[in-house]
Amino acid sequence: MNKRQFLHKLQAALNKLPEKEQKDILLDFEEHFQVGTGEEGKTEEEIAEALGSPQQIAKEMTAAYYLEQADQSSSAGNIFRAAWATVGLGFFNLVIVLGPFIALISVVFAGWVAAVAFMASLPLVLIEAVIYPELFLWFDFFLSIALLGVGLLLAIGMLYATRLISKGFVRYLHFNTKLVKGGLNHA
Amino acid sequence: MNIQFKKGVLELCVLVLLQKNDRYGYELVQKISEQIAISEGSVYPLLRRLKKEEYLTTYLQESREGPSRKYYCLTDQGRNYLKQLLDEWQQFSTGVNQLIKEGVHDE
Repeated sequence: MNKRQFLHKLQAALNKLPEKEQKDILLDFEEHFQVGTGEEGKTEEEIAEALGSPQQIAKEMTAAYYLEQADQSSSAGNIFRAAWATVGLGFFNLVIVLGPFIALISVVFAGWVAAVAFMASLPLVLIEAVIYPELFLWFDFFLSIALLGVGLLLAIGMLYATRLISKGFVRYLHFNTKLVKGGLNHA
Repeated sequence: MNIQFKKGVLELCVLVLLQKNDRYGYELVQKISEQIAISEGSVYPLLRRLKKEEYLTTYLQESREGPSRKYYCLTDQGRNYLKQLLDEWQQFSTGVNQLIKEGVHDE
């Protein structure tokens, strides 16, 4: 692989990043080739070989970029992209990232469903009273008011829990890319 | 050597190399791969991450041979971080060396 092929492959693999980021990364590698061929008198092929796989480099760059985005704003989309990019780093990450990720999403999802269901019980009781007035029980009415209260508290709790969990998960991703970063192939 | 192991250490190597003087990318990569077998390309993602975490800054400087080069420079924050990593490393390596010594003795 010569310089042109290497940079071409790298650029193709970086396609998920914004153009500015891509350019910046490519410039670094162009400089690397330039110094290597000019000063050290190495061939482009030697340099490309020592650099390793452009795809692996691009994966690491992409994961680092999304993780940084998730740091700045922990929106669901950013966290999802960061998790996905980290999973892509290798089999090891697939196991230790995807498992906790699915578990955490399930917990958050279940919490929200419960909160919404509790809160929905009052309107549902009222709708029932309108459609089948003969089935209406005051007990249902008061119980649903109580459930509304529980649901509201649960929703507030979930709001905090969701924030906490997403922050924690982003930190876990960081720890992860540090562990697996590098793609050092000479193990 | 084990992959996981080297990755943690690579960060320490980069920071140590920048402690006394600023260096450009190729130089950093060369210095490290003289000592440890690595995929040289993996140094660049690391450099970008360290820069984003504000442990490093970069600047461009003209060179006598050809176009200007990007130099990496440790920030104060980076120096603190390096100190912390060095302490951890020293503790770790003394511990492992001790265990090795005892192990070799027993046999």
